[in-house]
Amino acid sequence: MIVAQDAITDYIPHRPPFVMVGNLVSASRERFESDFTVTNDNVLVQDGFFQETGLIEHIAQTCAASFGYLDREEAGQPKIGFIGAVSKVLVTELPPVGGTIRTVVTPLHQLGNIYLVKGESFLDGRILLGCELKIVVSE
Amino acid sequence: MYANDVKMSLEEVIEETRDFLSEEFEVDRDLILPENSLKDTLDLDSLDYVDLVVLIDENLNIKLTGEDFKGIETFGDFYQLVGKKLAL
Repeated sequence: MIVAQDAITDYIPHRPPFVMVGNLVSASRERFESDFTVTNDNVLVQDGFFQETGLIEHIAQTCAASFGYLDREEAGQPKIGFIGAVSKVLVTELPPVGGTIRTVVTPLHQLGNIYLVKGESFLDGRILLGCELKIVVSE
Repeated sequence: MYANDVKMSLEEVIEETRDFLSEEFEVDRDLILPENSLKDTLDLDSLDYVDLVVLIDENLNIKLTGEDFKGIETFGDFYQLVGKKLAL
């Protein structure tokens, strides 16, 4: 683990109750990995399950934390980014309260300050959701 | 002969490019002409350029950067860039 949950807000602009990433497990320019435990008081939990929108936000915040971490490692300040587009969403299963999601994000392409990434979230090895995001990073 | 071969190869690339651009961006193939604006014809915003880069990579195995698009206005400009990248 490279950033623990209690320090994650040093790397992302999000604040409770809208922090949707737990520990940053690893981050390189080729691959990001995080985890996140779904709690009952999460604003994106409905009927005991973390919703699709939450999973997509979790993937986006995994990107934010990873870009923030890498920027800081390279002696810069973390930049603000936002979701430009979501595509190729495939939802297989929703995680229940108490479940710990593991997410892997792979940057596929970069054009200037826009990154196309592929994100996949898993629970106990089963895929929950996969999607592609265009992340726009402020310059 | 050599010149003709080169020209044919580039022509083939252009025709293939017209096919996948037409399909992906849902634009009449007949509008994808060298003198027409790339941005306006395909109705590209900044996010769509990423899709264009992905398409070019997947179909022609060319990796384009933001710098490559500087000065690219028309499909003709774009074909010249592709030809240059493919050393045609």
